[in-house]
Amino acid sequence: MERSVIYLLQVSTDKLVEAELFDGISDPHLEAWRKTWLPEVAAAKIRLLNNQLPGSQWPVDLHWDWDKKMAQARATFLGRKSFCVLCQGELQGLMLVNLTKTGRLPEQVRKELVYVEFLSTAPWNRQELACTPKFRGVGRALVLAAVELSLQEEFRGRIALHSLPQADEFYRVKCGMSPLGKDTKYENLTYFEMTPEQAQAFRQV
Amino acid sequence: MTTKRTMTLNLTDAEMAALDQLSTQKDLSKTAVIRQALRLYQMIDQRSQIGQKLYFENDSTKEKAELMLL
Repeated sequence: MERSVIYLLQVSTDKLVEAELFDGISDPHLEAWRKTWLPEVAAAKIRLLNNQLPGSQWPVDLHWDWDKKMAQARATFLGRKSFCVLCQGELQGLMLVNLTKTGRLPEQVRKELVYVEFLSTAPWNRQELACTPKFRGVGRALVLAAVELSLQEEFRGRIALHSLPQADEFYRVKCGMSPLGKDTKYENLTYFEMTPEQAQAFRQV
Repeated sequence: MTTKRTMTLNLTDAEMAALDQLSTQKDLSKTAVIRQALRLYQMIDQRSQIGQKLYFENDSTKEKAELMLL
């Protein structure tokens, strides 16, 4: 498993801090997910209930079981890759990507891309769950990892994903991806693609 | 970057022509085409092992044709 240094913005100090990006999610990372994320998720669910937020507006990824997702991914290990971000000894983000999908945009139909199946940031980094997020930049770091993998695999930086409603703006505005509308075959989530040109622009921000 | 190893591949003219064609169509090197083929082959094989089948579906008629079982 390889490790590279990245930087996140620590919100409390407004300063960049060193973090680690791993290309792989190992058992210790899953254990950190169970021990540190799940109690926070349970507390967040109680807060959402107390605030009487309708279930339809809850972040869907609160229910994601990364143990199951990784068990499935390991069975087709050539077609999938996983990444995680650690900072100050804590797990900050997880991502699972699929390398067997192709594009839908007219200019990249049937062209290979990296499809982001699941991307999640720690509950304490999320505005909708924590009053003040601890770190910013985890989502961007993981999307950038998907773009770099796409370049490494000769997919020219092409990536794609189905976005949860809360993240639509992030992928459209912050990542500069093209929305292709709601996908009725995929829980009506908005489908996004990034072209090689958009990937180049995203890497330079 | 993950360590890679090199091997020699013996292909017939027809197989090499198919590889050339895919390489051009997909804008990938021949190595990248082979690596992608391996990913897909492993995925199909793994799914067939757990009893799943691979189909092509006609988008207009919705007719399904079983493609393969490994």
